[in-house]
Amino acid sequence: MISPIVLPLLICALSAGLSVLLAIAPLGRHMPSRWMGWLLAIAPAAAFALLITESPAILAGQSARASIPWMPSLGLNFSLHLDGLSLLFALLVSGIGALVTIYAGYYFTKPEQNVNEDARFFAYLMLFMTSMLGLVLAGDVITLFVFWEGTSVTSFLLVAYKYKDEEARRSAFRALFITGGGGIALLAGLLLIAYSAGSADLAAIAGSGDALRVNALYPVMFGLVALGALTKSAQAPAHFWLPGAMSAPTPASAYLHSATMVKAGIYLLARLHPALGGTDLWFWALSIIGLITMLIGAYVGFTQHDLKALLAYSTVSQLGVLVMLIGQDAEVAFKALAIGIFAHALYKSALFLVAGIVDHETGTRDLRRLGGLWRAMPITFVVSGVAALSMAGLPPLFGFLAKETLLATATHPSVPPIVDVIFPAAAVVAGALILAQAGLIVLDGFLGQARAEHHAHEPPVAMWLAPALPAALSLAIGLLPEPEAIATLLARAATASYGAPVKVSLALWTGINVPLVLSVIAISSGLAILAVRSRLRPLFDRVSSAVRLSVLYDGALTGIDRLAWLATRVQNGKLRLYLVIMLLSASVMVVLIGRPELPAIRMISEGTQQPALTILRIFTLVVISISAIASVLLRRDLFAILALTTSGLSVAVLMLLEPAPDLALVQVVVESLTLVILVLALTRLPREQRARAFEFTFRQSYLGLARDFVIAAISGAIMFVIVLTALTTRPRQSQLTPFFEQNAKPLTSANDIVGAIIVDFRAFDTLIEIAVFAVAGLAIYTLLRYASYKAGDRDAPQPIRDQWMRFLRGIASPRTSPFVQGLARLLLPLTLVLAAIHVLYGHDQPGDGFTAGVIVSLGVASWYVSFGYEETKRRLPWLNPAGFIGAGLLLTLGSAVSAAVINGSFFSPVDFGKRLGIASLPAGVYFSTATLFELAICLTVAGSAVLMLDTLGHPKDADAESAQQIQAIAALAQRGEITLGEDSTDQLEKALPTEEAKPER
Amino acid sequence: MEVLLALTISLLFATGIFQMLRRNLIRSVIGLSIISNAINLFLLASGAYQGEAAAYANAAGQRSDALPQALILTAIVISMGGFAVVLSMLYVLSVRYKTSDSDEVKGLTH
Repeated sequence: MISPIVLPLLICALSAGLSVLLAIAPLGRHMPSRWMGWLLAIAPAAAFALLITESPAILAGQSARASIPWMPSLGLNFSLHLDGLSLLFALLVSGIGALVTIYAGYYFTKPEQNVNEDARFFAYLMLFMTSMLGLVLAGDVITLFVFWEGTSVTSFLLVAYKYKDEEARRSAFRALFITGGGGIALLAGLLLIAYSAGSADLAAIAGSGDALRVNALYPVMFGLVALGALTKSAQAPAHFWLPGAMSAPTPASAYLHSATMVKAGIYLLARLHPALGGTDLWFWALSIIGLITMLIGAYVGFTQHDLKALLAYSTVSQLGVLVMLIGQDAEVAFKALAIGIFAHALYKSALFLVAGIVDHETGTRDLRRLGGLWRAMPITFVVSGVAALSMAGLPPLFGFLAKETLLATATHPSVPPIVDVIFPAAAVVAGALILAQAGLIVLDGFLGQARAEHHAHEPPVAMWLAPALPAALSLAIGLLPEPEAIATLLARAATASYGAPVKVSLALWTGINVPLVLSVIAISSGLAILAVRSRLRPLFDRVSSAVRLSVLYDGALTGIDRLAWLATRVQNGKLRLYLVIMLLSASVMVVLIGRPELPAIRMISEGTQQPALTILRIFTLVVISISAIASVLLRRDLFAILALTTSGLSVAVLMLLEPAPDLALVQVVVESLTLVILVLALTRLPREQRARAFEFTFRQSYLGLARDFVIAAISGAIMFVIVLTALTTRPRQSQLTPFFEQNAKPLTSANDIVGAIIVDFRAFDTLIEIAVFAVAGLAIYTLLRYASYKAGDRDAPQPIRDQWMRFLRGIASPRTSPFVQGLARLLLPLTLVLAAIHVLYGHDQPGDGFTAGVIVSLGVASWYVSFGYEETKRRLPWLNPAGFIGAGLLLTLGSAVSAAVINGSFFSPVDFGKRLGIASLPAGVYFSTATLFELAICLTVAGSAVLMLDTLGHPKDADAESAQQIQAIAALAQRGEITLGEDSTDQLEKALPTEEAKPER
Repeated sequence: MEVLLALTISLLFATGIFQMLRRNLIRSVIGLSIISNAINLFLLASGAYQGEAAAYANAAGQRSDALPQALILTAIVISMGGFAVVLSMLYVLSVRYKTSDSDEVKGLTH
């Protein structure tokens, strides 16, 4: 059974899915906008109805919860919570949402082209609606944050809806930059709160307010949360994104930027007030920011000519009022807050929708070009008149009550004496200016001189009904004697936010008192301002245009650009510099953070060691070191590579002394294969390139050498400390090895414990490992064969005609003696036999599938070297590397699945030999999943390694130098000076320029 | 012994770093290989105990620690695969940038 509070959200989410479908499906192109509006409005209307049916319990003081475990191990749930505060917001979101959706269907006229444009708007709108509803219903901070970000993103899409307009794009980016940046701070703040409170649940957080307020990190928590909430709710100095966001279509502005999204910050602060509120920091920060925002919004709004901009600034002002109210620690403030949120949502959404109608019918929103509209659109005029009266705070409208309670809060005895004059004075000034703004809309928009330039008429019924309903509600609440349900709802909302019971009475007349006197002052001065508006507004405008707070934003952006410029200066493209920076930073971090201490050096070796072995080990270590250093000093690349291989082979000796015979085997064969591949790659580099590389390697300045030496020495020293610390402090008892040792034989019937770990205990790792190795082979193939050609690479080597291909050098050199060729012929079958033994006895004796695979590829390599590419391909038609890889991986999976079928567990050992009753297998040989896996490893490794050889040795990639030589040979052959046949080695020797010249010099 | 091992490992590491800092990309690749050897040695040395016999179920006496050996076995093969990829990238770079000087390999080219 779906919990009743999940249902509204679910319906909206489904509707959002439908709207996205309409936006991308052909159906949406043919459906008229108004149908779409009515269809999609069902969801918010249904959500509204569901919330209403839920409301009696909430109004009775209960709350509803629903929770779906998400990551229970981290205590994270997707949880929803419905109490008075959530209900107030959820009703606004769904109720106004339904009206706006229907209205939008009439607002958009479907043009012939771009037929899906309106559906796109609906998709954004419904997605936003779902996010917003989720935000106010969220029961824990993570759920809240996810929906919070959802509103930021969808609001970005709505503001940038007219994406072809550069201004719209810039405004959208600005809104996203500011609210998104605030969102990051909010996430940090919420996580910190959840961590300190020990729970992410909002109810639990509200209950742990006493602990949070004395927490040492309280200022950080408050700062981060406030940053998120205040940027979202357009508080100074970040308020300027809201007027910019007016580039959104008017239905979106009416919805997002008056009633819902900008109130998300208010909602969050109200929600967290029981947890974080009541401190001095909370009071001063919110009061001052709110006060300043209130005054800026009221002041700048009065200078605007654009109807929507004017409304946007008055919204900024109202948001400032609400933030200021949350800052107060008095019951009356939260009463004023609840009333203010509700009253503002009603009149402001109505006025925005009216602005949309005016724009729609006359084509302009400029107050200087409007006037006298009351004749043409009387109904709209009445609607806007009622809403504007509420905005102005005149009786008998709901807005009057909002202003009265605000003034009552400003004159409340709980206000500290330092500001007890400033608060009421500021409230009066703002009230007067807001009244003047409301007057501008009515006087300059609907009354006064009619302009002939537009032929306005009433919009369709549904379009004026959308603003008329909230406007009528504003009037009804004022006129009706005590609407009980609404009063209770507001009281419940205020209580949830205040943390203690709040009483709300909606009676307009409370007798002659200080707030009423102040209200009279505000109204009369507002009317006075209105009377002289034509002289006052230019004056106001001059002041406000001198001070632009968006300078801060522009400055921040420029600063970021500068920083990026500086950062990219460091990135000069020299990889060596990056390496140096990384190494040095890592060293500094190890020294500063790790504070390593050199452990006591003990020269005494362990007693179990035989002295002869110790001497051998030391000798091997010396060989390893000397040959590594030799690879630096040796000038010819080939010799350096040989020194490297010597070092690697000495490591194999050390492994043998461990004793670790499996390792030593693999190390030996891998070193050999590495040598082959390295030499192969070396021969492919053009000779002049290598000569140049030689020049700058060995003609380096002493300063540069010293620098590199110091860096290498520092890295080595750090490494020494790390290794020595690790080795001297390592535990001398293994946790895992005894398990493997005891169970290798009984569980997997393996004698070789290392092999048992590879193919049985850690079989899944091994599967992934051979897959990685296979990918390495395929990656080389892709890099060399596919990428360079498909990218239309100009420098890619030209394909050479097939008949000359076998005369290319490198791996394809045919110039090997018959003796070597004979050896190669012998070697390949031998390696196959060796590999087979390794696979069969892998579980019992040293060696395993890896060794087997590399041995096979070494045998194949000898063929490539002796016979050349084409010849090898011709003589070994069964050699299909990609096929080997595929077969190997499939065999692995097959054996794992067969084990799953027989034993019920993936990769578990199965002895097929025993099951099938094959008794005649030699000792140490098994026919089991392990054997199959070894074979699969062998196939994959051999396939991938051969693919590497094949790709690196393919003559089609020969460099231009070789191509020239081929052409020379071809010319010789055509002139009849040489004949090319099966064994043309000798003639080629004569024909080609001698190769003995030292390649590096 | 630990001191000697630590000395060798850090010496190999330093040599590898020095090689990687050469402008010649071939030397950088050699450096990479030396470093992977150093790391494998480190893993080998970090086994919990030294053995007298190889890690076989039927071996007599103290067996060597099988766990790091299994890890190294994997590491050797993987690092060879990685090494081959790096080499082929070196070749692609040499074709595209007409150089094997790491300082000249910068910016995008096509």
